Amino acid sequence: MERFFQYLFDGLSLGSIYALLALGLVVVFRGTGHLNFAQGEMAMICTFVVWQFNDWGVPLVLSIILGMIVGFALGAGVEATIIRGVAKKSQAGVFVVSIALFLGLNSLAAMIWGSLPPEQLPGLFPDEPDDFQRIFGAVWRYEYIGVLAVALVLMGLLFLLFAKTKFGLAMRAVASNPESARLAGIPTGIVLASSWGIAGAMGALSGTLWGGIVGELNAGLMFTVFIYASAAATLGGFDSPGGAVIAGLTIGVGEQFLAGYFPGWIGQEMKLSAALLTIFVVLLVKPSGLFGSTKVERV
Amino acid sequence: MSLLEVRALSAGYGPVEVLHGIDLDVDHGEMVVILGANGAGKTTTMRAVSGTIGRSGSVTFDGVDITRTNAEKLVGMGIAHVPQGRGTFPDLTVMDNLRVGAYARSGGIAADIDRWFAVFPRLAERRDQRAGSLSGGEQQMLAIARALMSHPKLLLCDEPSLGLAPLITQEVFEVLKKLNAEEGLSVLLVEQNANLALKVAQRVYLLETGTVVASGSAAQIASDDAIRKAYLGA
Repeated sequence: MERFFQYLFDGLSLGSIYALLALGLVVVFRGTGHLNFAQGEMAMICTFVVWQFNDWGVPLVLSIILGMIVGFALGAGVEATIIRGVAKKSQAGVFVVSIALFLGLNSLAAMIWGSLPPEQLPGLFPDEPDDFQRIFGAVWRYEYIGVLAVALVLMGLLFLLFAKTKFGLAMRAVASNPESARLAGIPTGIVLASSWGIAGAMGALSGTLWGGIVGELNAGLMFTVFIYASAAATLGGFDSPGGAVIAGLTIGVGEQFLAGYFPGWIGQEMKLSAALLTIFVVLLVKPSGLFGSTKVERV
Repeated sequence: MSLLEVRALSAGYGPVEVLHGIDLDVDHGEMVVILGANGAGKTTTMRAVSGTIGRSGSVTFDGVDITRTNAEKLVGMGIAHVPQGRGTFPDLTVMDNLRVGAYARSGGIAADIDRWFAVFPRLAERRDQRAGSLSGGEQQMLAIARALMSHPKLLLCDEPSLGLAPLITQEVFEVLKKLNAEEGLSVLLVEQNANLALKVAQRVYLLETGTVVASGSAAQIASDDAIRKAYLGA
């Protein structure tokens, strides 16, 4: 039972990081119908930016906020300058461009920060060996509790933004029917750029939380997280923010259970394959995901 | 001066020009209908007026040249466009659809929503349902109510009868007629159902392959034998 709670709790905490990144994927997909392959790399770059500010002496919390602002600007800028122009000509082109961005941002990070010795990103929360609480016999590290709390708070704020604000209404309207949204006076360009910006800011936070857990930054930081986040977005449904969160947490927990209870034949090495298998099976059985909407419309 | 003045308006899609320099006016408080067969350029005319496609020529609204104005700015100036078929946001609730309609303005929104619920009681019953789950007629009413939430001076309404049962179509037209008569709302209507349109509109433009081939008062057009034969089927 101790093990059960341990895996459950670790899984929820890691899963909340996947959920944050998956939410970014969903926000972009709902707005523009594109899968942003560079989402993880944008998050990675922003994590380096956070580290850089912190290294220059800026307090960590402020560095994270600055990193999220950079993430917003990066996302919005990419949408407005590169994606929008390409999307007008070809939807498939956007896919290729986002892969190019993936490679470009990865190389950029390696170029700027790669020559330095591996950077240590300080954790946001106390992370000494005795910084934990025992609950149901499981070790609840303060860092993991903190990560889960921060992720959940941000997700809560995002849902409030969607559901309660005029801007959220505009985002939902543009996602539902862009032509009529324009006719209703919604500046669709600003809304779409902001969607990418919000995804970028959430990526920055998920990268920083992950970087704090991993400890060491490198250009491949977000690679596995991105795979898990993609699995979460697929499982939850690409147009369902709530689905992305639930699926992200589920995949985090599932990963811990699989690796923990079956160390012999899944273990740490095969976890990623399990995520890819999830994507494959979901696409095969229920392409719209568990909570995604299938487009049915009465006429 | 007319509320809407369209001069030598040409428009199309990519290299294909569909509309070849039409002139068109809508006066204050007037209800004007554009008639024509499939492919005559009716919907293109509406899109060109509201700026959702590229256009040349000139469009003047309420004395202001709007030829180069962005589509998303027009609603704030007083033009509301109900596009053909899908004027609603299928994933949003009826309430949210109406709220989106008021996006470009503020104040008194709740009172306006109540007002349209009174005009369209069936929308009130379905206020928390997703628009996509409404029937075609309800969706069309929602699209019109959504457009009216912006307090327009001019309503562009593109074939509101499309896919609707005759009885529902009549109901929609009754509402348009009433708004026009009682509130002085100017309406530019595209319609294939000529008999119905001639009953509610005051003036008519007849469109054929992207040019205006005839125009006049509804009574004139309705009594023109050649036009009756070609468009009214009698």
